[in-house]
Amino acid sequence: MNAKQSLFQKIKSIRFLLWIGVILSFLFAAYSFYYKITYWGFSTNPKQLTNVWTIEAHVSFFPTNDPIKVSIARPVSDKIFKILDEDIVAPANYQINKTKNRIELTANANASPKQQDLYYRLLLYDYTSSNGIGDVNDFPKPLKKLVLSEQEKNVMNQISKLAEKYPGDSVQQFIHLLNQTPPNQTVQSFLPEQQTALDMAHLLSRLLTFKKIPNRLVRGMQLEENKKSFSPDILLEAYQDNLWTVYNITTGEKGLPDNFVIFQRDGNSLIDVEGGIDSLIQFSVLKSVRSSFSLAKERSKESPLHHFFSFENSIYNLPLAQQNSLKWLMVFPLAILMIVLMRNVIGLKTMGTFTPMLISMALIQTGFFPGLICFGIIIGVGFTMRALLSRFNLLLVPRISAVVIFVILLMQIFTVWGYQFKISIASSALFFPIIIMAWIIERGSITWEEEGSLNALKEILWTLIVAIVVYFVVADAYIRYLAFAFNEFNLVILFIVMLLGTYTGYRLTELVRFAPLRKRKKRHA
Amino acid sequence: MLKKFNRFFAWPSELRAAGVMSMNYRNYQIIGKNNKRNLYPLVDDKAKTKLLARRFGINTPQLIGIIETQHAVKDFLNIVHSHSDFVIKPAQGSGGKGVLVIQEYTPDRFITASQKVLSYQEVYQHISNILSGLYSLGGKYDSALLEEVVHFSTRFKSYSFQGIPDVRVIVYRGYPVLAMMRLATKESGGRANLHQGAVGVGLDIQTGRAIAAVQHDKPVFYHPDTHADLMEIQVPFWREHLKIAMQGFEMSGLGYLGADIVLDQERGPMMLELNARPGLAIQIANNCGLRKKLKKIEKEFPSDLDIESRLNLVLKSYS
Repeated sequence: MNAKQSLFQKIKSIRFLLWIGVILSFLFAAYSFYYKITYWGFSTNPKQLTNVWTIEAHVSFFPTNDPIKVSIARPVSDKIFKILDEDIVAPANYQINKTKNRIELTANANASPKQQDLYYRLLLYDYTSSNGIGDVNDFPKPLKKLVLSEQEKNVMNQISKLAEKYPGDSVQQFIHLLNQTPPNQTVQSFLPEQQTALDMAHLLSRLLTFKKIPNRLVRGMQLEENKKSFSPDILLEAYQDNLWTVYNITTGEKGLPDNFVIFQRDGNSLIDVEGGIDSLIQFSVLKSVRSSFSLAKERSKESPLHHFFSFENSIYNLPLAQQNSLKWLMVFPLAILMIVLMRNVIGLKTMGTFTPMLISMALIQTGFFPGLICFGIIIGVGFTMRALLSRFNLLLVPRISAVVIFVILLMQIFTVWGYQFKISIASSALFFPIIIMAWIIERGSITWEEEGSLNALKEILWTLIVAIVVYFVVADAYIRYLAFAFNEFNLVILFIVMLLGTYTGYRLTELVRFAPLRKRKKRHA
Repeated sequence: MLKKFNRFFAWPSELRAAGVMSMNYRNYQIIGKNNKRNLYPLVDDKAKTKLLARRFGINTPQLIGIIETQHAVKDFLNIVHSHSDFVIKPAQGSGGKGVLVIQEYTPDRFITASQKVLSYQEVYQHISNILSGLYSLGGKYDSALLEEVVHFSTRFKSYSFQGIPDVRVIVYRGYPVLAMMRLATKESGGRANLHQGAVGVGLDIQTGRAIAAVQHDKPVFYHPDTHADLMEIQVPFWREHLKIAMQGFEMSGLGYLGADIVLDQERGPMMLELNARPGLAIQIANNCGLRKKLKKIEKEFPSDLDIESRLNLVLKSYS
């Protein structure tokens, strides 16, 4: 009964609830952090870059008198490369029809025998550096029947036998055999005259089909900076052990090479031109970089849970000016946490709760050392002025007002001097919050009069020290970036600050202050 | 080296073992849970406290008059004309700020307790400053109290530099917990504030006899200015002191309070003011932690007794 009651009380206690809040908010923030990094491509490095590739296919041909039809294979976003943008440049009389895998450009029979130029431009960005594994549910089509003469059959059998001596799996064995230099005599008779990649790939495909291994050609583009090419790059995919595996047709290397974009699997060609002659296709590749941050919007479209973690409704979709001011705002919870820690856990006494924060903001505007010098001069001169004023026995409100006006005049003089003598220190005076400065002077003066100069200076010094600590937090561009990019951690800070509101332990300064009360071992007098 | 370090630093576990109360604990656990916010004005405004005290039959310094508006300031001489000395106090001041004791005066010469000579204009200015909120919490508009001067028992003359020593008693849920006498020094400018350099003398709660003394949180044994032996202090009328402090609980309803009491030569112990957030230095002056004492009261002392029974309980039970 008693134990039950105390458990119930514990659950009801504010501290317990706040702990739960801290834990839940932390779990949420941690997941959000993970989500932003994985799906939005955010990074803890503000300068993280993502490669953006531009692939351009230039198709040129001379029209015959037949209707023109150009069909271009169109890659789909895969796990590695996502399409950022796609566009087609074609003469006005072309009609463009996009399907999932191809783009078809059609035009009526064209009388003019001018050269036709079509451009297909594709922008891809590197979504992840890890290589994806083929789709497990991608089952092969039934094998085509090969029509072979007896002689061809014999050769193929011989080649298959020869291949068995080579290392690797059966696909790799064939690849190694075909690419051997100098070529084996039996093989040479079998090789096509021009050993283009396409011909070699077709040959390999026939051999594999002969061995009853499902296979298909993969056309795509190996992305390299400033690449120009008249043909697509070709790989071969074979279906073994219930999985499609990609092979390099010259080295036999397994797996998709880095930076390879697949345009087409198992098709006939990337680009078909009907109704044209002398067609020429030229591919070019360009590499550029963009900050990962700027690509987040694109990535978010592909993300799961994008209704909950909506990029459209996030702060990152705001106009840049608003984002920049939020960048400052988002770091303040951390600064506030520092102040709470310094006051309630360390036990430093400052003038006013958030005065240090306002001073540190001013320091950011002025720069660190110019700001400190300026602060010192304004406070110093202000104190002198306040000391003179106290002789006049003015009423409180007019007196503070006089100090405010005096501080304003002081700043004016500083700014003018700063301009004339080109001293940046002096002109930075403008950024100090006047009211805060006047208040520090007034409060400090009263402390000075009532509790002595030592206490007044101590108070100002502590305020300044706390301000400097806060300054180093807020002024750090990296911390600001983190607080902005992963702003969900501010929720954790909120709960931590509330939890600190129930902290009843000793402050660090109290460990010194109350040291005489420490239980000593009994001593005999 | 380590020994020296240990003299200036205590681990949290050591302080906890000594039952020392921290500022955070006081604010959250004690004040936050025992003192209702709406009761604060009763003790923050000395005019209200005085009125309430009178209703409860508690002895306080006699009020001569209150000045509430700037245009009434010029009348202050008329208000005090029948008194040869008087005190000017901000109603909502704290820590003795803005208190001016005029020992003797002519219409244009005022001599303070610290033998400073002020002009009429300066005293006028002082009252005016009080009204505009210079000494009040948060700088809000205030009123100025004109009170009779407490004629402090000459018995303690040698223990105090200029100012009047007072006795601070911490009362928790109606039971006195710790007590100390605060003695003004030259450094504190005649004020009885510990953080300004006044001496705090811990008093035995049952007898009113000195236990230990501190200045600036460090143990002392002699008054720094008069060199009187602080350990010989014994507060007379101790039972009456305790009773006034305990009545502070009845009249204010504050579960945790500090009562400031002065001893008048003719009228005996008088309540000066109550404090809803009494400081923690009293622990050092008594060389004793507050937390364990408060715990003991929570556990062992009944909450439904009248003052006499509580007083008897306290005088019997502590040892």
